[in-house]
Amino acid sequence: MTVVRALRERLGGLLARRARVVGINRRNLTLVYPNNRRRDYPLADDKLLAKERFLAAGVPVPETLATCRGLFEVPTTVDALVGHGAFVVKPANGSGGGGILVVGEWDQVAGAWRRAGGRLLTPLTMARHLADIVFGVHSNQLEDRAFVERRVSPHALFAGLWADGLCDVRVITLRARPIMAMIRVPTAESDGRANLHQGGLGIAIDLASGRTCRALHRGRPVTHHPESGAPLLGLDVPDWSAVLETARRAAAAVPLGYLGVDVVVDAEAGPLVLEINARPGLEIQNVLGLGLGEALAAAAVAVAP
Amino acid sequence: MPPSHATKITAVSAALVLGGLGLMAYKVRALGYVVSDVLPVTQYEVTYAIELDGRGGEVKVRSFLPSSDAHQHVTEEKDVALGLHLTQAMEGANRVATWTGDRVPDGAQIRHTFKVLPHRMRYEVSPDLPVPTAYPASVAVSLRPEKEIQVDAPEIAALLGRLDAGQGPALQRLTRIYQATADLRPRPFKGTTDALTALRLGEASCNGKSRLFVALARKAGIPARLVGGLIMTPGTKKTSHQWVEAWVAGHWVPFCPTNRHFAELPEHYLTLYVGDEPLFRHTADVNFDYRFETHATLIPSPAAKASSTSFDVWGLFDRLHLPFSLLRTILMLPVGALVVVIFRNVIGMPTFGTFLPALLAASAGETGAAWGVVTVVIVVAAVAAVRWVLQELELLHSPTLAILLAAVVFTLLTTTLLAERLGLAPLTKVTLFPIAVLAICAERFYLSLTEHGGRAAGQELAGTLVVTLACYVVMNSLALQVLLIGFPEVLFLVIAADIYLGRWVGMRLSEYLRFRGLLRREASP
Repeated sequence: MTVVRALRERLGGLLARRARVVGINRRNLTLVYPNNRRRDYPLADDKLLAKERFLAAGVPVPETLATCRGLFEVPTTVDALVGHGAFVVKPANGSGGGGILVVGEWDQVAGAWRRAGGRLLTPLTMARHLADIVFGVHSNQLEDRAFVERRVSPHALFAGLWADGLCDVRVITLRARPIMAMIRVPTAESDGRANLHQGGLGIAIDLASGRTCRALHRGRPVTHHPESGAPLLGLDVPDWSAVLETARRAAAAVPLGYLGVDVVVDAEAGPLVLEINARPGLEIQNVLGLGLGEALAAAAVAVAP
Repeated sequence: MPPSHATKITAVSAALVLGGLGLMAYKVRALGYVVSDVLPVTQYEVTYAIELDGRGGEVKVRSFLPSSDAHQHVTEEKDVALGLHLTQAMEGANRVATWTGDRVPDGAQIRHTFKVLPHRMRYEVSPDLPVPTAYPASVAVSLRPEKEIQVDAPEIAALLGRLDAGQGPALQRLTRIYQATADLRPRPFKGTTDALTALRLGEASCNGKSRLFVALARKAGIPARLVGGLIMTPGTKKTSHQWVEAWVAGHWVPFCPTNRHFAELPEHYLTLYVGDEPLFRHTADVNFDYRFETHATLIPSPAAKASSTSFDVWGLFDRLHLPFSLLRTILMLPVGALVVVIFRNVIGMPTFGTFLPALLAASAGETGAAWGVVTVVIVVAAVAAVRWVLQELELLHSPTLAILLAAVVFTLLTTTLLAERLGLAPLTKVTLFPIAVLAICAERFYLSLTEHGGRAAGQELAGTLVVTLACYVVMNSLALQVLLIGFPEVLFLVIAADIYLGRWVGMRLSEYLRFRGLLRREASP
């Protein structure tokens, strides 16, 4: 009898805990569909459109140095960039980091830009890359636009986690209220991408304190960086209240109600919004060790009078 | 106040379920649809495969072909006999086929194929039915002695006396004769055994037992005759079979003492001819060999076909001369899509698109599930190889896909060519795979490979194949197919299930694994 009771208790416990975890079906039906209208999706998918909204609403974003709207604009764009350095070329509708080109300083002698590792990037190669982007090579559509952003120089905390690129803070917001947050850290294993499924690192942030409290790598909780050995827990995210406020304002600037807002912290400019996602992933629950259901409930409690 | 969303959903689902079930109930109760008719029946395809060495001379082969009757429905006869000409004639009740040819070379082949839909026949013989004293002339012939049916031999009369089967009602006489012949020891003897030999030896094969039965029945005043035919068991064999018919109350009633069927003709018996005749006669100086090849397939019962009278899609397709397989595919697609939805939304298995596994399963109808999977794997491998080459060229997306389509076509043709060389008959049918479906599959795989990498693309491919197999099993369930043809309103239930799953917020099975850490944790304070 005790076995039956124990089993029943375990099952009951599982069912109770299950209600706190949000699966894809529940996310779509209760969060994405009711809050995000299909026709507003382009605002999330098109980084340039989103950026226009953010600029209009006064949300800080990385400075746009140039945009390239078609093949005809490629030469002028390249001309405008020659002599300048430290920028990033991105497709407006790219996904998964495809087509993003990070460029270093301009080398007057070589007549080319420096890339990571000292490789050279000639204006001709730059023109070809821009042409590829406007041709839609990186965006599964017939044509796209390219834009050039000033390269963010990450705050020391983030630079320490991943020197070669950019870590961002993913903040989940519901009706412009932050619900959950984590740092996404690329690793050498993930090939420089912050994708958690490909070996990237997720570090949970306690929403109230802005302190890192948990880290997950390949589904396992870790306390130190798997490659550098740097400690991951108990770190204070710089400008935390400003990061949250930036995410809140970015979410408020678009008509989408349930979002993943990606914020980077620039060493000088502070928090900047990189992009927003209208169907943010659910892996953040594993990173925080907290169901989205619990987080939503907690957020509701927090705002109750 | 306007109805809430949940109320609307419930109302629509309830209307669909009640409407579907209600229509089905109405058709069963008021229109007389018979649910048991929905079960499929076995159709046999029988081939006479004859080989002979004609030695360049004149050849004549005579045999019997089956006729349609209450027991068997014969269709789709096909004759392939190079250099031989088939003529047919009725001799009494028998269809006699004669293949003739001049200068027939060695190794000439005749392949005569037909499909048979048989029914089991059972007869009730009233226990007090008397044996008449006179019969119509056409039946009375079957009372006479024949060379190997020695009706007038004293030993036959003596045996009849010992059995006490020469008098009394017809049923009593037939039962005793049947019992005595059925009790003869079986003997797998291929040659001809006459009635007297069977009696003297106390053992016989089917033709000896049957001849003794006929001799005894005739002596007892009941017209009887031999029946020649086949027992249709799937496979290849050389043996034909003989049994008996006795004239009772105006009917030829079958008896098989060899396999103990009394007044009954089992479903898998095929009647070819009546009378004491050999199945084959041929020109004397030729080498002659034959075998029977039998295949069994399940098909929808004709009763189900006949009972579908309202919203009769089957009849519509018949009138438009559209193949049954097309109707089946169309009706089963929503069911296949429901299977995909269950795998994606309840189990959480990634696939290429929602419809693709169902479409692939429908396409695999021609090749079978296993070869369908092989086809997809071959095409996907070709796509991966082409992508590897194209990557270097850095082409735009749409032209790349157009090249992929050409690669798919080329792969299919090459596969068919190789399969034909290697004698892999099922694989030669891959060209029947709708190219559009394979092209979509190739495109999805390519996109997944490009956007999510090899690992994710491999997972999606594996998921697609698993779900395709599940769809294949469900969509090829004959009972389900016939149910949907008879009751297309079952699709209302399918839609209701889709609506339910469309509002289902439960965790996918795969998510229990993904979030197992969270589910194991105690509640945070």
